[in-house]
This record gives sequence, C-alpha cells and structure tokens, in this order.
Amino acid sequence: MDSEERAPADADLHGRLVYGDESALAEAYTAYGALVRRVAARVTRSPAAAEDVAQEVFAQLWSRPYAFDARRGSLRTWLSLLAHRRAVDWVRGEARHRKDVRADDSALHAIPEPGPGPDETVVDRERALLLHSALAELPQPQREVVHLAYFAGRSYRQAAVELGIPEGTAKTRLRTALRTLAETLADPTDPVWERGA
Amino acid sequence: MTTDHDGVRELLAAWAFDALSPAERAAVPLHLAECASCAAQARRLRETVRLLDGPASQGPAPDGEVGDSGSRNVLSAALTRRPAAPRVAAHAAPYAAAVSGLTALLPEADGRWGTPVVHDWDAHATVAHLLAADEHLALLLGLDARVPPSRTEKLGWARAWERRTADVIAHEHGRTPEETVAAWSAQARELLATPEALDRARDPERAGRAVTLTGVRLPVADHFLVRAFETWIHTDDLGRALGLNVPPPPEEHLRQLVRLAVRILGTALGPSAPPVLLTVTGGDAWVLGSESEPVRAELTLDPVDFCLLVGGRQAPREVPRRETGDTAAVSAVLQRAASLAWL
Repeated sequence: MDSEERAPADADLHGRLVYGDESALAEAYTAYGALVRRVAARVTRSPAAAEDVAQEVFAQLWSRPYAFDARRGSLRTWLSLLAHRRAVDWVRGEARHRKDVRADDSALHAIPEPGPGPDETVVDRERALLLHSALAELPQPQREVVHLAYFAGRSYRQAAVELGIPEGTAKTRLRTALRTLAETLADPTDPVWERGA
Repeated sequence: MTTDHDGVRELLAAWAFDALSPAERAAVPLHLAECASCAAQARRLRETVRLLDGPASQGPAPDGEVGDSGSRNVLSAALTRRPAAPRVAAHAAPYAAAVSGLTALLPEADGRWGTPVVHDWDAHATVAHLLAADEHLALLLGLDARVPPSRTEKLGWARAWERRTADVIAHEHGRTPEETVAAWSAQARELLATPEALDRARDPERAGRAVTLTGVRLPVADHFLVRAFETWIHTDDLGRALGLNVPPPPEEHLRQLVRLAVRILGTALGPSAPPVLLTVTGGDAWVLGSESEPVRAELTLDPVDFCLLVGGRQAPREVPRRETGDTAAVSAVLQRAASLAWL
C-alpha cells in the first residue's frame, strides 16, 4: 500500500478510534499487532515482555488517540516507533534491576548459560541495549526508515514509497542512521546502564 | 576498477539491513571482493546490525505470533483504560460517539486548561459550558442537576441558556478542571443510560416524545442529535485551540446531523422563501422554501462545512460552496443557516 492509499485508511481508522468504536481497535490490532510484538520481542528477547509492551502500545493508541496524527505519518511506523521506545524502557528497567542484583551477590555470573561464555553474552546484551537506546534517540525521519527496513522487512525502495519520500533520501537516511549507531559502539566511555532512562 | 564504487558504497547500509532488491544485492559482493575500504565498512555495518539483533547464544528472537488469548488481553487491557462508546439506539449513537471523542481529547488539555477556546471561554470553561448545555436535556429526562440551580424563571430560553452557562462556569472555576470533567462525563453517561437513549422504537412516551429545548420543539430522539452536534462542535473548538486535528464524526452520524439541521433550517426559512435546491455532498438534496415556485438557485456544500456554518463556525460569505442561479436566494439560505447557531 503506498502513502496515498494508506493516508485515508489511517485517517478513517483514527477517526473511529477517536469516536470510541472498539471494532477499530480490533482492526488496528489485527493489522499491526504482529509488528508491534516483533519489534518488542527483538529488543526485549522475551515473549512475556513483548506481551506487556503490546498491551501498553495498544492501550495508549486507544486511550490517547490524539497522540497519533494521520497527517504526519503512517500508523504502522507510529506504532513501531512507540513499541520500540517502550521495549527499550523495559530493557533499561531490567538492566538496572540486574545490575542491582549483580552488585549484591553476583547472581548473573552464578547462572550458567549455554553458548559463548556468560561474559560475552552479557557484553553483547549491553551492546544491543546501547544500540537500541541510540536508535530510539535518532531523529524521527531516520528512525522511520530504519523501522520499515529492519523491523517491517521493507526494502529501502518500498520504505521510500511508504513514507512518500525519494528513494535516494531513504537510502541516505538509512546510511546516516546506521553510521550513527556504529559510532555509538566505538565510544567506549558510554555508561550504558545510566543512559537517560 | 570494474565495479561501481560510489554506487555500492551508498548501498552498504541498506545492504547491512537486508533492504536491497535482489539485483542490487548481487552487485555488492562483487565490489567488496575488490575494494578493501568498502569491505571494511561493510563488515562494520553488518556487525552493528548483528549486535542490534542481540546475543546469538539466546537463539533467534521470538517472533510476534501469539494466540487468541494474547489478543484478548491486549484489547481488554485497552478497554479498561478507556471504555468504548456505549451501545445505544441509533438516535443517541452520535452523542455517544461525540462524548467518547471529547473524552479522548481532554487528557491533551492537561496543563493547558487556561488556553482560550471560543467566546471568552478557556478549555475549562468550555467543558463547564457542555455540563450546563447537556443539563437541560438531563433535567427533562428526570436526572438530577450537578450544580446548584440558577434563577432563570422570568427569562426567555436564550437568556436562561446564557445565564445557566455563566453560573455553571463560575461554579466550576471554583473547582479543578478534573472535577468539571468528571461531572460532565458522569452526566453524559447517565444521559446515555436513560430509557430514552436506549429506546430503539422511538416510543411516543419515550424517545418519540416532543419537548421544547433551546427554543425548538423536537422529539427527545432529535434532542440527542442536537447534543451530539454541540458536543462535536465544541470538541472541534478545543482541538483547534490545542493545535489538534479533530476528525469529523463518522459518516452515518454526520448524515444524521445534516438531516436534522436541514429540517430546522427549512422550518426557519418558512414556506414562502425563494426556493433553493440544497445538496450536501455525498448525501441527499432538499428543496428549501416555497413549494409553489420554480427553484431559483442551487447550492452545494460539504457536510462538515454545512455543519460548521449552522454551528456558527463558518461565516456565510466564506463557507466553501458551489452555487448557481439567484445569488440573493442563496445568500438568504446561508444567512439563515448561520443564524441558527446558539453554541
């Protein structure tokens, strides 16, 4: 569906959400529930947490429908961005909790994990969180293209059509975004646990 | 160099995200094999995406699929935070939707209750006005007032209406906006739970009973439409003041509002006005005015613009329209429509 076809469909769905038509909520969930869970699961790596995030995202869409404006973007990207932010918040909360536990009794190191050693997994997990935190902070135009490419599986050309922007712009935004993320990892002083929760 | 260095370099981020077409994807390894700097860049970007995926030892991330119970949980969690518009008879459905629409908007006024909205009302006073405006129907249907009574015995309906609004606004300004919202919301809920709101048969003793409110004698069922109309218009006022785009009511509701407004307009114009064919886009057409003369002019309006005109939110001269024929006849219809506004 391109941006011209999408806009009236989103506007219609949004109108029905605003006026309290619960069938519109069910339709939004049918259309975007899997995407929201996929984004949340990719970040949290926990089906239970993805369930919590999906609940929060759709509750917010329903109870605060005016936070979405059909003139400023598609519902698909809006929900994807919101799911990502909520998932990052969840992981940050978990990370803080885990750090507290580790400070107490090194519990994390006491649990044997399969595959690479626990240290490597912990480091990768920290890096993933660092990257997702940085992704959540990118300017919205960049985030939208990353979400469509990375979470929704679109090619950059499809993403350009969906966002109503030139293909070259979509390509450039992906590039700027991924370079920024790569540079985040290159900065060893970044205190991952404390970043602005 | 045999492959396109600049072209491939620009594609590397999309390649790392696996967001290339098959043809483009095929070109990348050919170039990477012969360009060390692009190969290094590609490795770095791919590694960033791999880390974004998370630790490999945990296996692939779970996908988004869930069963029906997950879906039910999500929907019921949302509905506990904001109930759906209640199911009522067709004549009360537009009011139920308008109340739900205003309920959805009001949290956006948090921290901005002093924002000027319309007349000399701020956002808080606008909700207080709706509390007063809905109260007239509430009292008629046997509900209790939520604000001490006003002295309006000797006043005509328009003065009494204004006095009640002024008194309720003064009363509510002594309370918090949240208290005013709660009072308005509770009264609206009670109105929507009355037998008149649920009476699908429009029983002459219930929703079919004709009563006079705001100077017009109409069945109770139509007064519910009037409440819907006013609630929507003031929600739109609030949206404009807060910089938010309030969507028009659902099509079927809009059609009900238009039909009622045309009926009131026809009565107001009277049987001797020069006849004008009024068409509302996507809906019906009516001949307003005299039935014994040929139609003098044709006027076409969008349903939302027509409602905004009748609601006093569009000036008769400026309202977007198509017209042919006698300009004076069209102008008389537009002026009369705008004069119906009591909001």
